[in-house]
Amino acid sequence: MRYRWFTGGWSWLLMRITGGLLILYLGLHIYVLHFLGKGGEEFDRLMVTMQQPIFKLLEVGLLGVVIYHSLNGIRILFIDFGRGALYHKKLFWFLMAIGAATFLVGAIPIFQHLTPLGGER
Amino acid sequence: MPTRRFKIFRYNPHTDERPRYQEYEVQVPTGSTVLDALNEIKWTQDGTLTYRRSCRHGICGSCAMTINGANMLACEAQVHTLKRDPIVVEPLRSFPVIKDLVVDMDGFFDKLLLVKPYLIVKTPPPTDKERYQSPEDRKLLDGAYECILCGACTSSCPSFWADKEFLGPAALLKAYRFIFDTRDEGVQERLDVLDNKHGLWRCHTIFNCVEACPKGLNPTWAIGELKKKVISEKF
Repeated sequence: MRYRWFTGGWSWLLMRITGGLLILYLGLHIYVLHFLGKGGEEFDRLMVTMQQPIFKLLEVGLLGVVIYHSLNGIRILFIDFGRGALYHKKLFWFLMAIGAATFLVGAIPIFQHLTPLGGER
Repeated sequence: MPTRRFKIFRYNPHTDERPRYQEYEVQVPTGSTVLDALNEIKWTQDGTLTYRRSCRHGICGSCAMTINGANMLACEAQVHTLKRDPIVVEPLRSFPVIKDLVVDMDGFFDKLLLVKPYLIVKTPPPTDKERYQSPEDRKLLDGAYECILCGACTSSCPSFWADKEFLGPAALLKAYRFIFDTRDEGVQERLDVLDNKHGLWRCHTIFNCVEACPKGLNPTWAIGELKKKVISEKF
């Protein structure tokens, strides 16, 4: 159904997408951890692979997904159990501002880790 | 006088295989509404164009339609505020089209009747006069009694698009209006209608209804209050 998208619609859609991505991530996470049972050497080899830039970028993406999903979850709690429905847009943008700041604080060290001048590689 | 283009949904289920869009050019004096433009088209260009209208003052709810992709009342939509060219006018989403911009709202009103949109009283009034409602009790109904039943909210609701049995925001707002009326004694029978997967719990707080309501009401908030009421009645 074609209809104009408003804040509430975007927040709902992103909640579904990030929820799906988190389920996917949890599956991958458990898959990676199961290598612990195969001995330390194999797990260490995998950890070296995980230090590749592409995985660091995915970690930054994961950070964004977790921040959005949790903050919008808090928004929904306010809507369902408080008076959030009366100011849902302001609440959304307020939480997204907090989310953006949190994302920067978390993402910058990961990016620094990627550069030659950054931390250990 | 400025001229604006209108791209209007045309469909007669009895004669047309599929819907089409027809464009018209209309001179729109300052202050014109979309309803004024539709009238101009019907009266001077194409008498076959069909739409509902009545009061022209945003209170009868007849002329709700989808304008530039969002639901609003044609009589309240000022043409100069609509930036898109041409202005696209379509019937309310998700209701069966009878002809052009006229939709079948029987299902909408059937849902309304399910929530028993009237005061239910089982005890005689305390005096031989009216049932007393304090100003504070009356205030509880602010934001609920003003609904004009135009259907803009229910038609904009993605949950309703996905589940045609969903009561929809208009019926749920009406349920709120009577459940929170301190004179009403039919709370439980209404809650029984609301407390199922086609009732309250189908609302996913997308807030399209709030954006669409021409009276500035907030059905999502009312639905939230009803959800709390259902839970508090159980525990």
